[in-house]
Amino acid sequence: MPFLAILAIVALVIVFLISFFNRLRSIQIQIQASIQEIGNQLKRQANLIPNLIESVKGYMKHEKDIFTSLTDARKLVNQAIESNDPTQLNKAQESIGKIIKGLSVIVESNPEIKASQVVGSLMNELRDTADKVTYARRLLIDLSADYNTAISTIPGIWLAPTMGFKPEKGLSVPASGKFLEVSEEEIKEPSVKI
Amino acid sequence: MLNVYEQVQGNKTRSAVIITLFVAFIISAAALITYSFELDPSVIIFAAIFSLISSVISYEYGDKIVLSLNNAHPAEREKYFDFYTVTENLSIGTGIPKPKIYVIESDSPNAFATGKDPEHAIICATTGLLNKLDRTELENVIAHELSHIQNYDTRIMMIVSILIGTLSILINLVSRNRFGRDRDRKSNGILIILGLLLLLFAPLIGQIIQLAISRRREYLADASAVKLTRQPQGLISALKKISSDSSILSSASTATESLYIVNPFKNNKITNLFSTHPPMVDRIKALEQML
Repeated sequence: MPFLAILAIVALVIVFLISFFNRLRSIQIQIQASIQEIGNQLKRQANLIPNLIESVKGYMKHEKDIFTSLTDARKLVNQAIESNDPTQLNKAQESIGKIIKGLSVIVESNPEIKASQVVGSLMNELRDTADKVTYARRLLIDLSADYNTAISTIPGIWLAPTMGFKPEKGLSVPASGKFLEVSEEEIKEPSVKI
Repeated sequence: MLNVYEQVQGNKTRSAVIITLFVAFIISAAALITYSFELDPSVIIFAAIFSLISSVISYEYGDKIVLSLNNAHPAEREKYFDFYTVTENLSIGTGIPKPKIYVIESDSPNAFATGKDPEHAIICATTGLLNKLDRTELENVIAHELSHIQNYDTRIMMIVSILIGTLSILINLVSRNRFGRDRDRKSNGILIILGLLLLLFAPLIGQIIQLAISRRREYLADASAVKLTRQPQGLISALKKISSDSSILSSASTATESLYIVNPFKNNKITNLFSTHPPMVDRIKALEQML
């Protein structure tokens, strides 16, 4: 009898270890997938921008500038997708966000463009893609939090190192840097030309 | 409080229990009738096959049956841009595949979700809902439905609504048919036995319905929706709009009632007692505490 009992306990422990390992591994895969998703949506956003530029062309002063910054932003997106690095995704998102902000100011301040159906649906698509980025980021944050909790609490804290699980960075941003400072421009009252 | 994984496991177990009870009920009813009237024992085999087949159908094709009962048609991205994209976005946020989405032509604002698991899920909204809510409100309603899918609430609710429907059709058939005029005494006997059986099983059936339509599910889905969208205000104003709207959803029936986000028979005082949904005031109160 004691032999059977020991056997049962060993079997239980093995089942637990396997399910623990599988759970962490599947969260890891989901984390990778959500990083990919953020990248894909940023790419989609970047692809929508040229269409919008086409519609607001006549109202822009420096058309060339926006194309160069778009090319730069695209490069950042591609780099981030290749490296699978969430912090790079942050940078890419920021640069695309700037372009979109500039474009939407033009749209909002020109009733003729705003009334256009093409521009309206393009703006809807852009807004929607931004929502998708938000949700993908949220999923990444939730998953990383789950994962990091699992490996830093008992029994994970004992098991994770032997199983080779390292903490996930998630969307962590550096603790110091330029982004913490508020620039002069941001303090000024926003001015919208009508 | 159960966590999500326990909730999912619980719903899977309950679904299995319900199917087993349904099969057991049909077979024992057939057995009792067969032995009381010395009918051919093949009736029992027939009953067993019938109950197994209808269980499999309710599990595999329940979503399609529910859809056709409600006259739903698929929603295209161009025509229902907000509905389509909001569902897409929320699926990204929960990490489950995007459910198929359908529209019911009705002025009454309402929505439901169904399907055996997240891979075969369906969300259905009425045109009234899509027209009367803004994008944020719609997002929260869809998030509520998506939580039902994620928790496997949809599986248990789908199975129950179809099996209970089958049972009521069967009982109707038996009590109307009377198995031919010339054998009136025999058919009366069958009715009496069925009646007794129903009496015996009534507590069980009640239990099944309780299992399926526990009001806690709605609170849980509301809370998970807010966790996903982080906009309790959006869900509150959506619920207020939906419940203050007076138009009635004619395609809903008692069998599909528990699937909807708000009770489709909202003006009926009697149904309130046995309502499948908690009172709207309480739901809104719970949400306001999250603000």
